[in-house]
Amino acid sequence: MINRLIIFRVMGSLILIEAALLLLSLGIGLIYQEYDIAAFLYTTLIATVLGGTLWYVGRKAENRMSRRDGYIVVACAWTVFSLIGMLPYIISGYIPNVADAFFETMSGFTATGATILDNIEEGGHGLLFWRSLTQWLGGLGIVFFTLAVLPIFGLGEVKLFAAESIGPTHEKLHPRISTTARRIWIVYLGLTLTCMGCLMLGGLDWYDAICHSMTCTATGGFSTYQDSIAHFHSPYVEYVITFFMFAGSINFTLTYHCFFQRHFGRFWKDMELRWFTWIIIGATVICTFCLWSRMYHVNLSLEESFRQAIFQVVSIVSTTGFATADYNMWPHVTWSVLACLMFMGGCAGSTVGGFKVIRIVMLVKIAYNEFRHILHPNAVIPIRINEKVIDGGMRTTLCAFLFVYLLTIVVATIIFNFMGLAFSEAIGVSLSSLSNVGPSFGRFGPEFSWSILPNAGKILASFLMLIGRLEIFAVLLLFTPQFWKNR
Amino acid sequence: MKIIIGGAGAVGTHLAQLLSKEKQDIVLMDEKIERLQHLSSVFDLMVINASPTSIMAQKNAGVANADMFIGVTPDESTNMTCCMIASNLGCKKTVARIDNYEYLDPQISEFFRHLGVNSLVYPELLAAREVANTLQTSWIRQWWEVGSGDLVMIGVKLRENAQILNTPLKDLGGSELPYHIVAIRRGDETIIPNGNDMLLNQDLVYFMANKKNLSKIQVVCGKEAYPEIKNVLIVGGDRIAVRTVDLLDPSIHVTIIEQDEKRCDQINELLAKKGNKVLVVKGDGRNFASLEDININKYQAFVALTGSAEVNILSCLAAHKEGIVKTVAKVEKNEYMKMAEDLDIGTTINKKNIAAGSIYQKLLAADVANMKTLELANADVAELTVGPNAKITRKPVKDLGLPKGVTIGGMVRDGVGMLVQGNTVLQEGDHVVIFCLSNMINKLEKYF
Repeated sequence: MINRLIIFRVMGSLILIEAALLLLSLGIGLIYQEYDIAAFLYTTLIATVLGGTLWYVGRKAENRMSRRDGYIVVACAWTVFSLIGMLPYIISGYIPNVADAFFETMSGFTATGATILDNIEEGGHGLLFWRSLTQWLGGLGIVFFTLAVLPIFGLGEVKLFAAESIGPTHEKLHPRISTTARRIWIVYLGLTLTCMGCLMLGGLDWYDAICHSMTCTATGGFSTYQDSIAHFHSPYVEYVITFFMFAGSINFTLTYHCFFQRHFGRFWKDMELRWFTWIIIGATVICTFCLWSRMYHVNLSLEESFRQAIFQVVSIVSTTGFATADYNMWPHVTWSVLACLMFMGGCAGSTVGGFKVIRIVMLVKIAYNEFRHILHPNAVIPIRINEKVIDGGMRTTLCAFLFVYLLTIVVATIIFNFMGLAFSEAIGVSLSSLSNVGPSFGRFGPEFSWSILPNAGKILASFLMLIGRLEIFAVLLLFTPQFWKNR
Repeated sequence: MKIIIGGAGAVGTHLAQLLSKEKQDIVLMDEKIERLQHLSSVFDLMVINASPTSIMAQKNAGVANADMFIGVTPDESTNMTCCMIASNLGCKKTVARIDNYEYLDPQISEFFRHLGVNSLVYPELLAAREVANTLQTSWIRQWWEVGSGDLVMIGVKLRENAQILNTPLKDLGGSELPYHIVAIRRGDETIIPNGNDMLLNQDLVYFMANKKNLSKIQVVCGKEAYPEIKNVLIVGGDRIAVRTVDLLDPSIHVTIIEQDEKRCDQINELLAKKGNKVLVVKGDGRNFASLEDININKYQAFVALTGSAEVNILSCLAAHKEGIVKTVAKVEKNEYMKMAEDLDIGTTINKKNIAAGSIYQKLLAADVANMKTLELANADVAELTVGPNAKITRKPVKDLGLPKGVTIGGMVRDGVGMLVQGNTVLQEGDHVVIFCLSNMINKLEKYF
């Protein structure tokens, strides 16, 4: 049975946390004394009342949370956070259209980074800070954040954790989930602050540094400027951002082990990270060559082609979506490389979206083993990831995940095609939304916003972002009849 | 407190669940991933899929800064080995589950401590002790010894002939009473009584008392007419049965029914050394027709110890029908415990709960400053140590204004157990046994 009261109580506390974060944005608004103060004030009030009411209704809930409750809470949390989070945009009149505002907020919380804004700079400082904060919060997960700061869930912690982070691998840093969550957040916070410091050294003021370091470490991709990172015209800033996008897409558990327990060797021993690094190097070499070689008539200097190539490659593969160049102008061969990177994403257990490197590694090994199996039909060939054997059950889950992932892309592409998008755009938009990247191809590339998408398309894209962020099954599960049957 | 449990069998799993609910840091190790998968997604603990005897795996589990290592795999040698490794890697305290009675000899414990095994748990012996206790004092349903000292807590089912029925507790005799009524289970409800509550027919009443005063409780409960047990029928000749016979008074005659012929021989061999008068019968304990030969009417107690809880419960019911008053059933499934109670089976024995409870008490000794609870009925029993300058030491107990639903049962001061009355003033260092309804325990923390 679904325990409604406990869902109310947990949702209530989550919304109160959002209210506290809105208050933070209100603070920024007050510093700059701009038109967005009233909007934040009203939204905070609404969130507090709503959260308080839900909490009050559910205060006497039986302290029991089933697996189903966990999935409902996680899916609801992300949707409700977006619904509340869009209010400042609407109330202030910055984004008057509801579908636009919802899209923008969902793109924030899922750390996608696609925007419908054509004049970002018009937003007040408070609004743009809130826009970046949504990404930072969503980067590691809303519920995960709450687990780290509030010990409110009692026995439900495990179910919520399981529902929000359905990855192929699970490694706990500590027997207790709340402690694990706290340690991961320390790593995250540390990365963000370091990034901010490095950016300030490059001449950014503190406001730009905060906003960009939050969206960079979260591999989100919102910028406070229309022309993204290209605005700064600084190779130093570009390299710093590249590095932190990469850092944000490494498994945080691994980073914790390396920096807090000084097991630096684990970086090089980790199979996923090794593959990830080699894939980035390969893609960068191809793109650099295409930009530099006279064959394609782009004719940039070697340093500039390398810088543009590595920035764009890391930005796409880490599903960030910052831009310093419009890859739509690049030779076509780079497009297919970038599309593959978009599909793949970064390492599991980090802030990135996408299919995840570890799953690719497993699939490659499964495929390779199939060939060996044909020659030695009776051989038992294990598939090992970091010396751990992947069993049959996990392989089935993996193949099912791949199928559902591809099916979602195909269905979404067809729908976007109906809405009048060109074929490459439709594929790009669905891939980019599902993998939480941000920019896509054609009219949806890094130089343009997604504002030309029809309203229905924006809602669909928001939905894709959400299911992509929660690894598909967690959300689609709610749409299966079995889930709601009392069995 | 960080606790590593090696072996996710019945005892290990039960302990892990118990402790993780209490917000302890639990790491559970087992070689078989099937045993772990379900647990890690339901309880807040860390599982490591590796052999508990692996040095590498123990290091990964963080044994160096662990407070306790508990070896509860099915094999005693494995348990010993992993405890030795854990101790040598820096674990503060180790507990191993064993199957060999010889190891419990006090003379050898120093040797094991030297090897790195601090304490041993023999679940079958603990269960046997419980069976023997309940047979020797057959009017008692549940028996729980408190830490050290002579304090015991017992559960007694009241019938209409009890003397203390329908009288407010405050009129029963006040501070001269040799017992303290700490909890009453009435139907599905557990009540922590105050002076105005009354005992009713069919209540299961929990008394706290000194061991030497048990006979007085027997009288007030109207249980003195309970037949003294002279003949016991045990169905299922497992290790618990053998240990029980060993612990029982030699004047009690025991018949063991066992299906397996080889095991029958084994039992005879095991018990011959002790010279017990035991009759071992090969037969099926479920088949009462075949039991007619052994004249079931002459037995006063029936103990079912087969591997199947269902069989045990059903054969106890059948024994009731035949007129045996005292029945004991081994029930390993927690879900069945309540059911067995409702079916009026005298005592249920749950080996894994007993073992887990005993390890729990050892944890208490390792970290007395902390609060520990042991679930009993729907109430918690907690043993707390009074800290220096604690609020609870300032006034007599009756003036403390303890929250409703909480009662102090007894205390152990300098190793001597005593009851706590309204005028008792607690002192620093006392171990206090507190009874309260579930979820109340947090409200008590400020007093200690």
